[in-house]
Amino acid sequence: MRRLLLCLLVAGAGTFGFARAASAYPQFQFSSGTNKCSQCHYVPSGGGLLSSWGRSEAGDTISMAGNGAFLHGAVTLPSWLALGMDLRLAGTRTEDGGQESPQSAVFPMQWDFYVRAAFTESFSLMVEGGLRGEVRPEDDALGARFTPTPERFISREHYFMWRPSATGPYARLGRFYAPYGIRFVEHIYFVRRYTGYELYNETYNLSGGYVSDQWELHLTAFTPPPSSFPDALQSVGARESGGAGYFEYRIGDMAALAPQVRIGVGKEVSRYQGGLVGKLWVEKAKLLFLGEADFIRQQVSAANYGQNQFVSYLGATLFPIQGIMLGGAYERFQENLAVKGTGRNAFLGQLNVFPYAHTELVFLFRYLIVGDTGQPAATLGMIQLHYYL
Amino acid sequence: MHNPPMIPRRRLALVAAAAALIGCGSADDTRPARWSFISATIIEPSCATVNCHSKIADRAGVDLHDRATGYNNLTSRNFVVPMNPNSSALLYLLHGEGALRMPPDAPLPEADIALIEEWISLGAMND
Repeated sequence: MRRLLLCLLVAGAGTFGFARAASAYPQFQFSSGTNKCSQCHYVPSGGGLLSSWGRSEAGDTISMAGNGAFLHGAVTLPSWLALGMDLRLAGTRTEDGGQESPQSAVFPMQWDFYVRAAFTESFSLMVEGGLRGEVRPEDDALGARFTPTPERFISREHYFMWRPSATGPYARLGRFYAPYGIRFVEHIYFVRRYTGYELYNETYNLSGGYVSDQWELHLTAFTPPPSSFPDALQSVGARESGGAGYFEYRIGDMAALAPQVRIGVGKEVSRYQGGLVGKLWVEKAKLLFLGEADFIRQQVSAANYGQNQFVSYLGATLFPIQGIMLGGAYERFQENLAVKGTGRNAFLGQLNVFPYAHTELVFLFRYLIVGDTGQPAATLGMIQLHYYL
Repeated sequence: MHNPPMIPRRRLALVAAAAALIGCGSADDTRPARWSFISATIIEPSCATVNCHSKIADRAGVDLHDRATGYNNLTSRNFVVPMNPNSSALLYLLHGEGALRMPPDAPLPEADIALIEEWISLGAMND
């Protein structure tokens, strides 16, 4: 009991840390032997807190060794309660052609705390809280980067969920990302950044759908937090209200196709977007291909101007041995399809190492080409140390 | 007299495909040099991110999260000097001249910076 209290205190301290995106690893769909995200996550569309099955997989299938259970199995929580924590420290080096380039930074990237309480077999409440991370704080001293301040507290996710069984219908009400697209952990990916899924873009939603072994459907109505809400409940990005739909059809345990649509209507700007997600697992080669392409129509009513955009991702991830994930990807974002020089191309390389359950090392490199008028390319190198409770 | 080097047809096709991949669109920028457009499509998505110039982060006291606030922040502190691009600090920041380049992780395309410069030259109205 004393141990549990100590752990809760440590986890509670996490709420004064630094928050980032909730963890989701779409690379593990199919490659880990599970054909849908909800097999390992409480949320039917995936992401966020791991279920007990997901924790077992994290220890037995994903990591090289160790026990994936809460607190490495030292404590068994009652079945109605689930707790979790994510802590990430990061080091970055960016080079963008500016006079003060290159820049280096070491900072706490994420410290999130999760509580899920189930009231009955069907109803549950999930609350997440943490602090926003700062790559470049006003006070540049390293100590200041670790100093928690109440102003940085934010709760990105809090919702009620009705989910009577692992498959079948479900409904969610509260704050979270409306299901759409490939939900990578890394928010820098174009298909997150330019489709309304940037860091802390979570909206208030009424979402529902159906999950079966072969297909799943998620429909969501969303709206931004009211302006009167405190900063801890605010989101950033375009203030749009609308709807999103995601339908995934799986072909056995090796492939999936998912058409999707999202309409966001704002006071002066609206976005109408649709696209396709594709996933293919090649068992013999231990290789997973993920792809997404979205077409976006952006209408700026105040300027009486509309523009068409395109954003895409194509990547391959290799799982050579247990505990190693090696990926490469190409991304394209065309800000305006009618104007030359408004495109961005990125080439990414990523190595994830899971040496022991609950721990992860991430090495990420991105080479960015902006426009086509001789603009200097920007590079980003990043190392992350990730621990989850 | 030298003839131009022959480029194999397959290589030519590859080059054409790469060019198409990297640069789409026409050379003419028909986008409006108006703040309502620039704020919504360039500044807010690139600068008003959660830890930078969003309403909740307000880095360096600069909040660019919406059209009115962003306009006031940029024009009241000489980041933008109407009709005077050379005195507008914003353009130096976007080019990384004498300061940390903005946005630090992903520079803006030159076409976007040119559109902002045109807006400043035209009087930097909140239009």
